[in-house]
Amino acid sequence: MSRLVKQWIPILIATITGLVVLAGYLLPNQLLTYYRGRLTEWRDVLVEWAVIVAAFAFALGLFNILRVHGGRVVHLRKGWFYSLVLLLAALVAWIPPVLYGPSGTQTQQMFDYVIGPLGASLAALVAFTLALAAFRLLRARRSTGAVFFILIVAVVLLGSTPFIGMGWLADARDWIVNVPGMAGGRGLLLGAALGTMITALRVFVGSDRPHSEF
Amino acid sequence: MHIEAILLLTLSGLVLVALLILRGRRGPRPTIRPLPAFQDLRDETGRTAERGGTIHIALGSGGLNGEDAVSSLAGLQMVEALAGDAISCSVQPIITVGDPTLLPLAQDVLRRAYERRGLTERYNSDQVRFVAPSPVAYAAGAANVVAAEDVTTNVMAGAFGAEVSLIADAGARRTLPQLAAVAAPCAIGALYPTTDHLAVGEELYAAGAYTTGERHYLVSLVAQDVLRVVLVLAILGAAVLALVGG
Repeated sequence: MSRLVKQWIPILIATITGLVVLAGYLLPNQLLTYYRGRLTEWRDVLVEWAVIVAAFAFALGLFNILRVHGGRVVHLRKGWFYSLVLLLAALVAWIPPVLYGPSGTQTQQMFDYVIGPLGASLAALVAFTLALAAFRLLRARRSTGAVFFILIVAVVLLGSTPFIGMGWLADARDWIVNVPGMAGGRGLLLGAALGTMITALRVFVGSDRPHSEF
Repeated sequence: MHIEAILLLTLSGLVLVALLILRGRRGPRPTIRPLPAFQDLRDETGRTAERGGTIHIALGSGGLNGEDAVSSLAGLQMVEALAGDAISCSVQPIITVGDPTLLPLAQDVLRRAYERRGLTERYNSDQVRFVAPSPVAYAAGAANVVAAEDVTTNVMAGAFGAEVSLIADAGARRTLPQLAAVAAPCAIGALYPTTDHLAVGEELYAAGAYTTGERHYLVSLVAQDVLRVVLVLAILGAAVLALVGG
């Protein structure tokens, strides 16, 4: 009984749900028009349920943050001050949506003037960490591949800047991006698509059971 | 939309996997191509234990209800394998997620790893942490875990973008051994300079086969390779036909 509940029922639910949603997307118009309509309805209902479950998952995520950072503050573990700031910020961020609603002026101002710029600042850091990583690469790994990588990065970056008399660099950049870059990118995407399909199929056939106890 | 082609490909994959699973239960173990990124992965866990620290596994900002769901599941396979080894070596792994839907599943995988080794009492659900729902904020939070906690090995596996360089940078500053498995091209470019072992593209989905060595993973990897060869031949055939046909 325990095995039935913990293993077979989750597998059955996952397989049937996955197949219904997939069929709702894939069945062609010419074939089974009536069933396709039904399947689309079922698919939409299942996707809606998934959205509701995801909303509850956000509540779980919030409790997890409170537990992890609250515990750090209470026990004064390393970095407790930053955890305290995080908890206070999370608390303050609740106030405008609760008082003025999610589309209220104050809520929007909080997003526009606090959360948005903070996110943009962090995103700007990414450019610096990438440049730093390239520099570290030259120090740590002096292989042909590393030199080739840096060379390509330099050509693409310099080719994107409007230097006078460096039109050939822009042409080289375009060629790198559009020919080998595009081919490599498509190859990666095709490979990833195959991997995605096989992994999903493993879940559908019950060979992979991330949701089951056994 | 080429729905017929997608359906055909899905069905052929389904048939192939079903056949291989049936065949794969008997006979010799399927042989798989060597993949340097995963060869030292399990040994690294042992070295983490020797260094007396912990292992951080970042699963990225993908969840279970989006297009990154399968990448996240592939990352969980690495958690399954690494967490088991880590627990055996008395290392408490820290797992960070950027989507709350992945949180209960990652907690469950970790709890089961403890249970399998009869160490349920040592399991602490706080070892799996939800950091933030936005990718950049998640990367910054996970980078803080790498920088501030007693992490001695940093593993990144799942759905990432270029922002993963924040996590990798935190690891590089502490000269930690870093391993990554990602599918997105922008994340590959960001990780190449800072990681010692990098699995790219479809190699992310091969993680389970290499890290666990379980038969069903090996069999599905063989199926994946066969499908790739078929796809490459189809593309080459289409190119030749286009050339011949003018």
